[in-house]
Amino acid sequence: MSKVPDNLLYSKTHEWFVLEGNLVKVGITDYAQHQLTDVVYVEYPKVGSAVKAGGVLLTIESVKSAEDVFSPVDGTVSSVNNDLDSAPEKLNSDPYGNWLVKLKPASGSPTKGLSAVEYRKHIGE
Amino acid sequence: MRTPLYDRHVALNAKIVDFHGWDMPLYYSGIINEHMAVRENFGYFDVSHMGDVIVEGKDSGRFLDHLLPTQVSRLEAGKAAYTAFLDESGNIIDDTIVYRLSADKFFFVPNASTTGEIVKWASSHSDGLDVTLRNVSSEIACIALQGPGATIAAQKIGIREPEPFTFYSQESGDRNSITGNREIIVSGTGYTGEKGMELIVPASEAEKYWIKLEGLTRELGGQPCGLGSRDTLRMEKGMLLSGTDFDHNRTPFEASVGFIVNEEHEFIGKESLLKSKSSRNEIFRGFKVDGKAIPRSGFPLMAGGKRIGTVTSGSISPVLKIPIALGFLDKSYSKEGTAVKVRIRSEEYPATVSKPRIIR
Repeated sequence: MSKVPDNLLYSKTHEWFVLEGNLVKVGITDYAQHQLTDVVYVEYPKVGSAVKAGGVLLTIESVKSAEDVFSPVDGTVSSVNNDLDSAPEKLNSDPYGNWLVKLKPASGSPTKGLSAVEYRKHIGE
Repeated sequence: MRTPLYDRHVALNAKIVDFHGWDMPLYYSGIINEHMAVRENFGYFDVSHMGDVIVEGKDSGRFLDHLLPTQVSRLEAGKAAYTAFLDESGNIIDDTIVYRLSADKFFFVPNASTTGEIVKWASSHSDGLDVTLRNVSSEIACIALQGPGATIAAQKIGIREPEPFTFYSQESGDRNSITGNREIIVSGTGYTGEKGMELIVPASEAEKYWIKLEGLTRELGGQPCGLGSRDTLRMEKGMLLSGTDFDHNRTPFEASVGFIVNEEHEFIGKESLLKSKSSRNEIFRGFKVDGKAIPRSGFPLMAGGKRIGTVTSGSISPVLKIPIALGFLDKSYSKEGTAVKVRIRSEEYPATVSKPRIIR
């Protein structure tokens, strides 16, 4: 059974996100890390680069595969979590305690997503 | 399909994936953790999805010699050999291990995804020969016990480790379809590059042996291991994966397993195989890659802006902690230490050519 905290928003592509001040913090779900297998590398976007809702935000390399992480909003990359560079396995052990990027949403871009209840249903748990 | 150990995988909370129609464990605790358990201590794998085919009859040796580039009729009873089935062009259909049970009886273990194809192929060449093929895959389970600690682990459950590529039978509870007796086969084989053995047991007894190994995990610290670490372990040691590193398109010489070819006998594909020695220009090698991005199957190998080959397998090496790959490249770049590049998405990363066996 995957962990799905109630205080976050989710996307169908298995990202979690949350509005913090004027920034949107993005990570991957417990379900996603379980599917990925051991994470070995996160290929970050450049800080300042523009992203579209539903567009590719970054790529996560695991032992088995490379998987894209998608942006939940239109906006620009404000910062990336370089703590993961030396310890990418933290995404497996604590996916909600380790965010990937913070985005500055474009003005008027809504922060909408699935609730925890809806996401649990989406992953069939 | 499920192996007789499926319930154990679920009980151990494995991540289950579909592997060529089989519900198999990808990992239990984590691929890297399981990989290191095998390199440093021991691990045990359910490989019951692999095939088990008996070849019996007066002409068995002759029949297999015709089907295989290795002259297995020269094997003594109790010995096994790594070899491959070739098509008429000399390309590998599937690699396998052939075991000799007695003068007139062998069995071989094809890959799960190719068992049906191989049984059909072999049967189609048996006309007029005193030979019977029996696919007993569903009656047999196989547990691989691998690692430097495998010897002691096996001793604890009353099993002696065989010499590499030899096997013996040991009394057990149920009838083994391969030998016809109440026994298990203990074989000095594996797919990890470590010491160890494979227990070829009646399907009905698989759980009994597996549960004994689970008990040893608590006592000695070894791990149940899934297909994920099986793949990274074989990759570090440069062992070919059927359907991935070759798929009806590579000869044993290209695949760097020329040692299986014995040119002193006639076999299917021999003529084309020997002719193609000069025309086939690529060879199987290992690669150590700079940076952190991981090369994957299909990614181009480059030199001087020119494509010189293709990655067929790639991952991180849990031992070296760097990205590694296996693949085929132009022979002129195949010398150990040659600097090449691998293209990963839009970037080219420097890579160093090694023998397929990337770690000693």
